[in-house]
Amino acid sequence: MNKPVQGSLLHLSLTEAAAAVKDGSITSVALTTAALEAFNRVDKVINSSIWLEGAVALEAAEALDKKRESGAKLGPLHGIPLAHKDMYYKAGKLSTCGSSIRKDFRPAYTATVIERLEEAGSVTLGGLNMAEFAQNPTGHNQHYGHCRNPWHPDYCAGGSSSGSGAAVAARLVYGALGSDTGGSIRLPASICGVTGIKPTQTRVSRHGVMPLSFSTDNVGPLTQTARDAARFMAVIAGHDPKDPTSSHEPVADYEAALTGDLSGMIIGVPTNYFFDGIDADVQAAFDQVVLVLKERGAVIIPVTIPHIDAIATYGGILSRVEGGTIHGEWMRRRPQDYAVHLSGRLYPSQGIPAVYYVEGLARRGPILKAVGKEVFGLCHAFITPTLRVTVPTLLSTDIDAGTPGAIELFQDMSINTRPINYLGLPSVSVPCGLDPNGLPIGFQVQGRPFAEARILAIADAYQRDTDWHRRLPPNVS
Amino acid sequence: MSLRETVAVQAVTWTGISEPNDAAGAMAHMLAFSIEGFAALRGELAFEDEPSSFEAALQETKEPTS
Repeated sequence: MNKPVQGSLLHLSLTEAAAAVKDGSITSVALTTAALEAFNRVDKVINSSIWLEGAVALEAAEALDKKRESGAKLGPLHGIPLAHKDMYYKAGKLSTCGSSIRKDFRPAYTATVIERLEEAGSVTLGGLNMAEFAQNPTGHNQHYGHCRNPWHPDYCAGGSSSGSGAAVAARLVYGALGSDTGGSIRLPASICGVTGIKPTQTRVSRHGVMPLSFSTDNVGPLTQTARDAARFMAVIAGHDPKDPTSSHEPVADYEAALTGDLSGMIIGVPTNYFFDGIDADVQAAFDQVVLVLKERGAVIIPVTIPHIDAIATYGGILSRVEGGTIHGEWMRRRPQDYAVHLSGRLYPSQGIPAVYYVEGLARRGPILKAVGKEVFGLCHAFITPTLRVTVPTLLSTDIDAGTPGAIELFQDMSINTRPINYLGLPSVSVPCGLDPNGLPIGFQVQGRPFAEARILAIADAYQRDTDWHRRLPPNVS
Repeated sequence: MSLRETVAVQAVTWTGISEPNDAAGAMAHMLAFSIEGFAALRGELAFEDEPSSFEAALQETKEPTS
């Protein structure tokens, strides 16, 4: 079911659009113009962008079209309009980080991932809406307006990469960078009905990317399809001398791994933790995923995730303590410049003893090795729902408005994603259904470290037999 | 002293940060879940465990090459 949808140029997938630019049947100017017009039309409702530079983007697109006409060698993203979570630095350009504190921030240098994407031929349209300093799972933003779900504007778009999820779902761009510290790529991907991959910890450079948590921050794309994500990942993955924490592990040929064949693939389904208290509609959608993967040749087995209580406990504090440290000076001097929910979230980290933080770091390696042995010793990958609950409304999760129960719901949203960040595993969220309110449901696939090709292959195989990733939100034309 | 008050004293004493709003106080109170979690894990940290092992563990846990 990977045939292109009839309609607007923007209904093409990223790889389809790139092929069309390459063979000359579409120009980058046409794609970029369509994207800018779509933002102008749709973004009044969903508010997925913070700033756009239309004239600059069109100028870049014109140059890329001339380059193609000249017969020059083209990059894998040649002529493709993208926009990114507004926390990727580009020298001299605005990078608000979704905050009031950095509303005028213009960095002096460019993120390695932005350099790589532009060298691959992409056109950058601007900065997308996001949770303030990438720190909420809902998409609330008091400074630039809440990002709204394209499937229904009363509902959350998911966070923290809210604009990335909403813009891709509404077919405003072919792909967008997000970032994922506790689920911030996978949550908006699931909630908006798109594909989003959090790579292995250290897989993608973080140079020139707003920090939140040294230990668990990850850079990755949100796209329509797994194949699009594979193309995107091939461009951004790999060691970067400017980020000493980035891995020297060779980058696999991700697209070559997308064969559709899952014969001999063993996929685990956890028997503990990930399904506790799950919503019946999410469970039903997940059960269908299992059937599709079996039909594709996969063998499904139960697995027990070892040390899951430790993973959940440690995973809950590493990013909080590191974020609390990074924001310490602003929390002392200008706490009023944060939204209530963010200063509220940052503040308690001051009460977590350092010995517990170090314990979480100290046990991370041994616990990962135990998961490697006891889980990946039995299966190639394991799958879970991305969220256990259906998509909540913006109002039900609005801490700043004082909604009763909002704090608890807010924290529960990342209960299935955050443990994966602690383990550092690659994880891709894939659309797999709609709930009774018409909002998307997603599942996530986890593999061993650096097994991005494996999890993308599973996602792609699933998408060959389903069309959830191709469905359009109402009123998207 | 409540957990909220304990966090307030610790924050001001160690980092000079004051409770910014009621939501912060409520979230500080929710640290009780983390405390329970850590209490349940007592005894699991091995004497030899050290923070520097995570990148090595990523390498050790990756897919074997055929």
